[in-house]
Amino acid sequence: MSVLGAESWWSRLWFRESGSTFVPSSDALFFFIFTVSAIAFVGLMFAMLWFGVMYRRSKVGNVAEVSSPHNTKLEITWSVIPAIVMAIMFYWGFQDYLKKLIAPSDAMNVYVTASQWAWEFTYPDGGGTLESEMIGVKVSPVIAFPAGKPVKLIMTSRDVIHAFFVPSFRTKRDIFPNRYTTLWFEPTDRVTHTFSADDKKLVPVDPNRPGYYLFCAEYCGDQHSQMAGRVAIVSDTDYVKWRNAQLDTSGIPLRDLGEILYFNKGCSACHTVDGSKNTGPTWQGIWGTNDHAVGWTPPSGSDAKAGVVGPEYIRQSILDPSAYIVPGFTNQMTSYQGRVTDREILALMTYIKWLNSDFREEAEADGVRELDERGLVAN
Amino acid sequence: MSGDHDASFLKPIGDFGDGGVFSAQWWRGFRTEVWRWATTLDHKKIGLMYLCAVLFAFFLGGVVALMLRMELFYPTMIVDVTDAAGNVVLNDAGEKITKTTGELFPGWTSSKGPVTSNNFYNRLFSLHGALMVFLFIIPAVPAAFGNIFIPLMIGAKDVAFPRLNLMSWYIYLFGGTFAVYSLLMGGVETGWTFYTPYSTSTQWGSVTSMVLGAFILGFSSILTGMNFIVTVHKLRAPGMGWFDMPLFVWASYATSIIQVLATPVLAITLLMLIFERTFRIGVFDPALGGDPVLFQHFFWFYSHPAVYIMIVPAFGIVSELIAVHCHKRLFGYKAIAFSSISIASVSFLIWGHHMFTAESPAANVVFSALTFLVAIPTAIKVFNWIATMYKASVTWNTPMLYAMSFLFNFSIGGLTGPPHAVLSTDIHLHDTYFVVAHFHYVMMGGSVIAVLGALHHWWPKFTGKMYNDKPARWMALLVFIGFNVTFFTQFFLGTQGMPRRYATYVPEFTTLNQISTMGSWVLAIGLFGHLLIFVQSLVSGRKAPPNPWGGLTLEWYTDAPPVEHNFAHEPVLTHGPYDYDLVVPPGWDPADYPLPDPELVRKAHGH
Repeated sequence: MSVLGAESWWSRLWFRESGSTFVPSSDALFFFIFTVSAIAFVGLMFAMLWFGVMYRRSKVGNVAEVSSPHNTKLEITWSVIPAIVMAIMFYWGFQDYLKKLIAPSDAMNVYVTASQWAWEFTYPDGGGTLESEMIGVKVSPVIAFPAGKPVKLIMTSRDVIHAFFVPSFRTKRDIFPNRYTTLWFEPTDRVTHTFSADDKKLVPVDPNRPGYYLFCAEYCGDQHSQMAGRVAIVSDTDYVKWRNAQLDTSGIPLRDLGEILYFNKGCSACHTVDGSKNTGPTWQGIWGTNDHAVGWTPPSGSDAKAGVVGPEYIRQSILDPSAYIVPGFTNQMTSYQGRVTDREILALMTYIKWLNSDFREEAEADGVRELDERGLVAN
Repeated sequence: MSGDHDASFLKPIGDFGDGGVFSAQWWRGFRTEVWRWATTLDHKKIGLMYLCAVLFAFFLGGVVALMLRMELFYPTMIVDVTDAAGNVVLNDAGEKITKTTGELFPGWTSSKGPVTSNNFYNRLFSLHGALMVFLFIIPAVPAAFGNIFIPLMIGAKDVAFPRLNLMSWYIYLFGGTFAVYSLLMGGVETGWTFYTPYSTSTQWGSVTSMVLGAFILGFSSILTGMNFIVTVHKLRAPGMGWFDMPLFVWASYATSIIQVLATPVLAITLLMLIFERTFRIGVFDPALGGDPVLFQHFFWFYSHPAVYIMIVPAFGIVSELIAVHCHKRLFGYKAIAFSSISIASVSFLIWGHHMFTAESPAANVVFSALTFLVAIPTAIKVFNWIATMYKASVTWNTPMLYAMSFLFNFSIGGLTGPPHAVLSTDIHLHDTYFVVAHFHYVMMGGSVIAVLGALHHWWPKFTGKMYNDKPARWMALLVFIGFNVTFFTQFFLGTQGMPRRYATYVPEFTTLNQISTMGSWVLAIGLFGHLLIFVQSLVSGRKAPPNPWGGLTLEWYTDAPPVEHNFAHEPVLTHGPYDYDLVVPPGWDPADYPLPDPELVRKAHGH
């Protein structure tokens, strides 16, 4: 089985992509079970068809030939042999499972927060990812890891159960609310992406094999099947460059940053930007209007106008979403308190402002002015 | 309910008059007849009503399955809009225009908000699972075939508690009503497993009424199980010891034990779920101080044994099919009987293998090891069935084709179990299409195929009509091919990493999904063909002889269809259920069945 490597047609037929150090032993075990099963299956089916044809009634008549209805030796044999094979399978699987279970102490810790229906990643430097890619119908996050270095994910969920599954890594772990679970893997040396300094983007080495898919494997509701992501494996130097690019958002215009956050913070799961209705209200054309947040009252001490969508309204909707629910919607959103910086809120406001054509022209300038006035740093 | 005791149990007693259909007299007769069926204590009538109900549930679940496969024919993607010549269309600003493609079900807006294409798919797969598990396959063999044939096979007049039996049927109907109500109120989109905290927090659908339906159906299952246990213990015909019972009865007995012991745990779990959803009592939802993994433990403590409620009776059916259609003593009768009991016992110890990616690693190791225990008795059964065919007299009719189809599919279903029991490989395969393929090979390729075999095997007995065997054999072949094309492709989807319960998928999986969907069409044609053949048999089928296949178990001793009290005289057992080398089948001419030399038989049996 090990004769056929991860790049052989046989392996690609069954597993398509292979990308972690778990693959060789895990797949060897799979193909061991497959081979034993295939031999047993072919033997059984051959016997069944052979007896069926040899002893067909049209040949032997109504009455079967007399034969013994039990045979202790035979029955013990066919009980003991499967038992031995099963014991081997169990032990091998247990050994290999220990490998998948226990992360090496030098693994890089990355925090994963899953929610309906978005992934958020926090790298050791405190930043996340700004990169995304269209997978199916959804803009999904791209995450990069250095080739050949172990990574340990510390994962929790904000709402229901999810599961982190990268098929090419042959490992998986459920993610629960209110508790942490971990999962580790070590990507192989195969580099799938390089970092382009000009575009500040990851570029696939081979366009036909652009990295690995990340899927959510535990049913989590409406967009379960679109809760995907892209795992890119890069060289050490590219990894450092990529991290630096993710941390520095100063060069990104506020509107563009708002759009990136719209996808990468999970807003896009419930809010549309094209006017259509989803779990939450659309963002298109609501800024500055007084027929959207009907009945909203500003918090005391604020000079915002009641019922008008403005900075105070957006800020409250992000940090304390249950304070006011737009008519026709239900209270579904969890608070983003502590998950977004002031600058990021400003970026989202600028984006929402830009989404109303009446304010489009001045959105960016207004944002930058406020940025200066409040003295907010680049990040 | 007095009637002509020598008449078929199907014979109407109402006086329909001769004024023609829909005359006043006809209606009076019709009402009499409906009332007679609705209040019947006859196990055969109750069994037949169950059979109609479960087959209807199977039909609904099957239609839903075809819709699921249709949705999965295309991945959902956003693509550029192109004109007829294939050029990308640009808008006035010179940007590409895109559209969503591959959604079979467009969304719409309901009173609760927009129903997306995803949401519709999610409701369909939840409905498919709930219908097939709770309304079809759990009651299919025990309640339908068990009811009709257990008393006949042990030579009893009825089950031990006929009134309780009728009550079970009404509880089933009552529970089914809740499920239908839930469906009409928007259905559920939690999956049939109702995992918390999703099921306790989702705003969608009517989870509470669906869960209540499953809760109520559970009582029907418990009462039927109790009834059968007492029936088997107390009502066997004179002369019938435990090892003279047909293996279908052994399998049903093992199933009944699981039903009685495991179902209460489901009832408690579902009740807690309802309390959590309705009164916000925190048991499972972490937001209320509960533990979501606790739900999974409780749920699978029932639902793993429930897997054996679905498959063990099928083992019983296959034992009957092979013995009768091979005219052969079953090889290793006691091994088959005891393996049913040991599977039933071990089934309570292995629920944790559904949670290898969720529970503690220490628990994983224990459950992985225990899971292999169930594989051995299961393997022994398959070996015994195939060994029975050695030196047999095999007829290639529809029931026997289904028995062989079962052996083929169930062997694949069984052999794809170890990759799940082995920890390391399951971590990859868990919650992918490999699991979907595996359990469909067991539940559909195993249980449903066995049910189809049982329908063809016992059809002449309970309807009194023969069906046309030749077209039925072709349909059996279509079902076999359609089933394997549909589900074998899903093994590859699973190892390649397509997770289950996906309304949309990445384009890499398109070809395999399309093959699978085309397989489902072949399967549907085969099943529809069977339906037509059965309808033809009811309308204009030849009258069936009491023992068309040459069976030796007691149900073949009575008329077809059986008389109201099953047997004209209380049967006394004089031979074992599979003594094909010692007894001429009842109703058969000894000239057609020249018995072998008794001395030879004695020598072969070693005494």
